[in-house]
Amino acid sequence: MTFSLWWIFTYYFRSVIKWFLRKTTGLCELQRICYGEIPGAPRIRKVEYSLFMSKSHQVKQLIQHLNSISDNNGFIGPNEPEILNGAVKVVMLVKKIDPKIHFQFVKSFGKCVEQIWGYRQLIAEAEQLRTTNYDSDDPEHEAKLQNLWMKLKPNDKLEGRITKQWQEIGFQGEDPKTDFRGMGLLGLENLLYFSTVYSSAAQHVLGHSYHPVYGYCFAIVGINLTSLAWTLLKEGSAKTYIYNNSAGAPSIKLFHQFYSYLFYEFDRFWMDCKPKDIMEFSNIKNKFEDNVRMNLQDPTADFRIGVTVDNV
Amino acid sequence: MGLLSILRKLRTAPEKELRLLLLGLDNAGKTTILKTLASEDITNITPTAGFNIKSVNSDGFKLNVWDIGGQRKIRPYWKNYFENTDVLIYVVDSADKKRLEETGIELYELLSDDKLLDVPLLVYANKQDLPDSLSAAEIARTLGLPTIKDRSWQIQACTATQGVGVREGMEWVCKNIKKK
Repeated sequence: MTFSLWWIFTYYFRSVIKWFLRKTTGLCELQRICYGEIPGAPRIRKVEYSLFMSKSHQVKQLIQHLNSISDNNGFIGPNEPEILNGAVKVVMLVKKIDPKIHFQFVKSFGKCVEQIWGYRQLIAEAEQLRTTNYDSDDPEHEAKLQNLWMKLKPNDKLEGRITKQWQEIGFQGEDPKTDFRGMGLLGLENLLYFSTVYSSAAQHVLGHSYHPVYGYCFAIVGINLTSLAWTLLKEGSAKTYIYNNSAGAPSIKLFHQFYSYLFYEFDRFWMDCKPKDIMEFSNIKNKFEDNVRMNLQDPTADFRIGVTVDNV
Repeated sequence: MGLLSILRKLRTAPEKELRLLLLGLDNAGKTTILKTLASEDITNITPTAGFNIKSVNSDGFKLNVWDIGGQRKIRPYWKNYFENTDVLIYVVDSADKKRLEETGIELYELLSDDKLLDVPLLVYANKQDLPDSLSAAEIARTLGLPTIKDRSWQIQACTATQGVGVREGMEWVCKNIKKK
């Protein structure tokens, strides 16, 4: 009820306000956003909202077109400049904006479009990795798994492919292949990125996972956090992170960075909670998830791994 | 409108609540069965660190299903969840022949616990879709289920990922409780 009232209000009164502002400022809504809002998530999210609320037939068509391109992994890539150029041109024509006077808008708006549909393509890419099951007959998958061991345990040699040693980095049994489950290759790639790029942070977290009381299974918790990162990406909550942290087009690397941030922060949160044992995981994970969601609601939030050294 | 429905709910509230305990080795399919029962998406399951719990309404019962992680490190915590269990559901990966012995040992450890005395046992012979899986009858024989005399038990073949056989098992659970 309240939702539909709000919808009617935004849909009809928005046009009146927009018309009034357009007449008084001589700028359309998109221009006002691009010139007035601070860059990053605050600007991009407003542009996104404005585009998706647009009643213009051409803009609606453009959105559909861009959606289908990015869902099929065709937006970010060799054709991106051309697609971007076309998209900006359509909006300039519809909104009757002179590109010679408003060259700043062309640049700024183009960047927003790149982020909005880059994000959409990022979902498609992550989904592709997630739905690729871990396959122990695939040498590439196997090499990644071996690499994960080497990154986490550089001083210990793996005695065999099927071994209890896997439990030292937090897998459940003697063969990690069944532990990836519904997160597929995405779970492995996430762990591998965190352990490779944020090596010292990962070692710090792995160290905590051996704690006599607060210890947990590093890889299993990691795979559960892949599920969290993926959920936040898919539902759009991760936009704040992606929009504020991507210099160029969003890539899967950025998703891995988001994951690494979550893992590091989760570990800190877990240790602060001083859990009785691993059975408190669901509870603490839910609390952590609530906190992350709340932080992501602030469009100006900046998320960085603050690597601190403490006594384990 | 809101108050009326709350009142109506209150009046029909005294439905019987049951506590079901879902156990088994890691990768047996416990969480998939839990999510199938709750009609949730089963394509994004992760290994259970700790436990999951869901309430499902079935056959006039409110089933509180406790799904506890099955990895070796978590098994010592199983006993913390035994109290007041109405039905024990044990899940077996029918294709994991290597660990049949291990799963049998864990099962008999459960059955010998005082807190689970007389608790009916439902065994799901899961993953029937896998090419080299054992049939429910073979699983029952290997686990020695026919020798169990101190409680009612049932074996149910199922493929949780396809939702096959899960409901049938729950029907047995509800019927068995009614008989009590």
